[in-house]
Amino acid sequence: MPPSVRADSLRPPASAAGAPVARAASLVGIAAVASLVFHVGTASAEIKLLPPEEAFRYAARAVDGGTVEARFDIADGYYLYRDKLRFAVEPGPLAGGVALPAGKVKDDEFFGRVETYRDRVLVRIPIAPAAPGQSVTVQADSQGCADVGVCYPPVSQRITVVVPPAGGPAGAFVEASPAKKRWFR
Amino acid sequence: MASAGRRWIVVGAAVLALLFGAWVARSLLEGGGGRDAGTLLAVALPDLAGEQQAIGQWKGKLLVVNFWATWCAPCREEMPMFVEAQKRHGDRGLQFVGIAVDEAAKVRQFADSIGLNYPSLIGGYGAMELSRTLGNSLMALPFTVVVGRDGQVLLTHLGPMKQAQLDRLVESGL
Repeated sequence: MPPSVRADSLRPPASAAGAPVARAASLVGIAAVASLVFHVGTASAEIKLLPPEEAFRYAARAVDGGTVEARFDIADGYYLYRDKLRFAVEPGPLAGGVALPAGKVKDDEFFGRVETYRDRVLVRIPIAPAAPGQSVTVQADSQGCADVGVCYPPVSQRITVVVPPAGGPAGAFVEASPAKKRWFR
Repeated sequence: MASAGRRWIVVGAAVLALLFGAWVARSLLEGGGGRDAGTLLAVALPDLAGEQQAIGQWKGKLLVVNFWATWCAPCREEMPMFVEAQKRHGDRGLQFVGIAVDEAAKVRQFADSIGLNYPSLIGGYGAMELSRTLGNSLMALPFTVVVGRDGQVLLTHLGPMKQAQLDRLVESGL
């Protein structure tokens, strides 16, 4: 009797019985994942977007009793329109004009010459004299777009800041909506 | 014999998985296909003359509803392509309808400047909410919904459409 024909070898070992199932399962799994990756890969060139509050992160702080500062951190691939940026404070009114920094000039067929901001924009806003400890609400109206070819509607955001002690350092920036924690970044 | 059968089952399952992956990817990215367009077709909005226009009046056509605004440069850039498609295929049953998230005066001015040849309704910011219910979760523009002759949503698309994509739709949907 050849040694290979032993009684126990006629019964398939447990692992051999499971192997085709495992192989099948892994093949199916790989196919599903590969297909998903392929399709996402081909279509993601189309559009991949941040929600506006993450694309344009608004923050403000009180510098002193006569000045607040607004800041937009603009994600890479996004821009804000200079002429759509407007500020108001409460209690108001503003103690003077808001000098918006110059932006990058862009020629728009319909609106003509427009200026846009990228990366970061800081704006100093003069307010009526406010006492240390007083709350001031800084409202920013903004509108921006993404380079991939979409625009977000104008939004109005408000942040309340507190005037720092006289002669002391400027208050800390207060973020409009705390950036959400993301796992894959 | 048995192993050949098993192999076919595995291959079949792999093919099904491939199709499933494609379907998941498609529904994640483009979305909308195969849904009933009832919500959209039930909406009525004022046109540039201030007359209420029910979107349902265009049911039975290949309907392309484009959410846009004058403050959205990518929206304005793709519209001449829609004007051209409306001109070429309108008599075969292609109907574009713009829903502007904007003020009527600005829409009128832009419509005149490009010779808009399809209705533009004024949705105001409420239109953004309508687009959200149709799958525009980020409420960005342009957003386009294509409704087939049978009233089913064929496609929802965020961002400018490509000429080839529009041509394919016209070919298969008309």
